[in-house]
Amino acid sequence: MTSSAEHTPERPEGPAATDVGDVPARRGRVRARRAAVMAVPAAAVAAGLAILTAEGALGVQFAISGMPFTVTATELNGTGFAQFGALDEMAEGSPNAGDTGGQVLVVTSVIKNATLTKLCQSVDLGGTNLVIRAGEGSQKVTASDLTTDSTQLSGDAAFNNIEIGNDASTLDKAGPLGRGPKGVFSQQSDTVHIANLRQTNYATTAGVFKLPGLKLGFSGSGC
Amino acid sequence: MPGRPRGNLRPAFRRWRAGRPFWGGLLLALGGAEILLTLKASLDVILHVGMQGLAGYLLPAVMLLCGLLVLFNPTQRLFYSVIGVLVSLGTWLTSNLGGFFVGLLLGVVGSCLAFGWLPDQEPRVSRRRRRKAARAAKTAIPAQP
Repeated sequence: MTSSAEHTPERPEGPAATDVGDVPARRGRVRARRAAVMAVPAAAVAAGLAILTAEGALGVQFAISGMPFTVTATELNGTGFAQFGALDEMAEGSPNAGDTGGQVLVVTSVIKNATLTKLCQSVDLGGTNLVIRAGEGSQKVTASDLTTDSTQLSGDAAFNNIEIGNDASTLDKAGPLGRGPKGVFSQQSDTVHIANLRQTNYATTAGVFKLPGLKLGFSGSGC
Repeated sequence: MPGRPRGNLRPAFRRWRAGRPFWGGLLLALGGAEILLTLKASLDVILHVGMQGLAGYLLPAVMLLCGLLVLFNPTQRLFYSVIGVLVSLGTWLTSNLGGFFVGLLLGVVGSCLAFGWLPDQEPRVSRRRRRKAARAAKTAIPAQP
């Protein structure tokens, strides 16, 4: 309390923390101004990334799975299409495994270049749904090397130059990614057009996913 | 404080915490872990997509690592936090929009806290008392270099 003791210009040297209580008197602290030096540019870059993605100037990559999720689109157009059966394994001890032994039989579809109109993707998180919408305006969603592992696929499809019944290891129209294991039924085509697409997927990956008009939010109902 | 051995642990932990940017490192590591959790895609598909798919796993792993290194090697915190913030921002492009934004936010906030942290600061004083002290110092020691 005495002013002379409290207002000495310099602190005593040496281990100042005399550890009277259980907290040392002098300890590390976050200085707000120092943190702001990094926070301000980082926030600006984050905002820039979000805006560029929403405008479709920047592609992002998706690789979500573990839970089935639904993808819908009013229209899908693609070039270089391949499809074959595969077995997906869940992570060991996954709570979603149920009585399947952790394996899901899926249809893997690979599309080299795809454009989608009014894409909607939703994951059921139990009670609420995480919904991503994009491509509702004039600009469409584009994806390259789009690979989906789906258990259900419905829509009105039209194929060009389709070959059905190839061995999955001999596919060549969707590039090196669109090749499956030996001895598995498969089909491929030069172009694909699916209207009112609805897929239940276990995994989606895409080399680049451009999402103009991106909206991400929680909703009571899925797609 | 009942329970002597347990009562000893808490102050020890506090002292350990006081010597490093604890929340910064923890948030950065948690952000990386959250993004990894959202990524659980089968590795088969990832390997199909190749380099870019692998980057989706690599970046959050680096976040996790940087967060732990901030905690266990706090002297190098500036380097780790700069790498941490860049990688956190990068996950927006490579890993599910940065774990659906949550992991990205945790990572950036954690990196900023680690960057802004300084060791050996004086105990926190309220603004009112600081002002009073400044006034008193001016009157007590008028000429100070």
